[in-house]
Amino acid sequence: MPARTRPIDKLATAVAKCSTQSSLYGKCIFADYNNVHKNMCSTEFLKLKECYLKAYKQR
Amino acid sequence: MNTLSIRAFIPPLTRRCVPLQATRRYAVQAPGAPTLEIFSNRHKWQQKERAASNTETSRSVDYLRDEVASRLCERVLDINRHFPKVLDLGANACNIGRMLTLPSEDSPGQGPRAKRIGTLTAAESSETLLYRDADLPFNKEIDIVREVLPTSELLPYDANTFDAVLSSLSLHWINDLPSVLAQVNNILKPDSPFMGVMMGGDSLYELRTALQLAEQDRRGGVSTHTSPLADVRDIGGLLQKAGFNLLTVDVDDIVVDFPDCFSLMKDLQAMGESNAVLGREKGAIQRDVLLAAEGIYRELHGNEDGSLPATFRLIYMIGWKPAPTQAKPLERGTGMFSIKDYLEKNDKDAQGKE
Repeated sequence: MPARTRPIDKLATAVAKCSTQSSLYGKCIFADYNNVHKNMCSTEFLKLKECYLKAYKQR
Repeated sequence: MNTLSIRAFIPPLTRRCVPLQATRRYAVQAPGAPTLEIFSNRHKWQQKERAASNTETSRSVDYLRDEVASRLCERVLDINRHFPKVLDLGANACNIGRMLTLPSEDSPGQGPRAKRIGTLTAAESSETLLYRDADLPFNKEIDIVREVLPTSELLPYDANTFDAVLSSLSLHWINDLPSVLAQVNNILKPDSPFMGVMMGGDSLYELRTALQLAEQDRRGGVSTHTSPLADVRDIGGLLQKAGFNLLTVDVDDIVVDFPDCFSLMKDLQAMGESNAVLGREKGAIQRDVLLAAEGIYRELHGNEDGSLPATFRLIYMIGWKPAPTQAKPLERGTGMFSIKDYLEKNDKDAQGKE
């Protein structure tokens, strides 16, 4: 039986597949990082999360 | 009417008084100012025990502690003295002990660094972490005694016991640093050094800022994910307050590159350095926040080759316990020449050369 994969490893591999969305989200925060408020970049984040969920389920 | 009397259930007055008398205690006045609790000692102990119980993973993340311990040992070599009894306070996995058995990097042919050290007492509150490497061959090359402390904030040693006290990467989890440093001063013999290194100031600022921005955007607020750390400025004052003389404080940055921020978090956890701030949010961090933090970390701090840097700022401190025979600064006004003239002269010479 293979060793149990830790949830954080699964998370990391899934996130690694979404580097484009992740970098877009990061750029959105970076554009105004002195004045971040709630849901400032929710459109970018939702795209990132959608991609992440897809990648997470694939495995 | 059936009124039930509860009188029967109350013990008579005389009987009630007896246990009160038996448990009479002395009124105890708490000494000194009340200490501020920032870190949960129990939780820290648990994290260290857990991390060390997985020996393989725990050994694989020793890179930082080994490097720092090695740099501290080099400083010990700078003092031309024999140290018959040395205490390693907060020894973690006896990294200092292991580094002392290796030869110095500057002079590889000179034999182990420990040649001027007698007995090394390694004291640590986490038993599993302390005994993790007890079977390795380096234990035979150095006279090492392991001692489990009941708490990391009380040192159960007599005054004037040790010829030197070392401490590597454990002081940053101590709540009452002034008291611990004063205790260290007490257990040192007169004219003996305390040499310590702790995490400070801007350690892990990349992770700190990424998590803060991620939480700000996702949840609209910030919670503590990294400990508050002492600053370089504070250390001098702390050592002085604890009664040390001839202070030396310096700073060293170690930057480690990680493939992603999850590996950094995993490594910190395997070191037993997870968050143990009392005011932290209980429970796991939200996935949304992790997801966001990774993106922000990469964009804000990432290297060009795609790796993420993590800065560890180490504050080295040396203080000497005062003794009447110790070298002292000369009295004010006894200087024979002005340092201003000397510097100006040197400045002119340097300009003349250009």
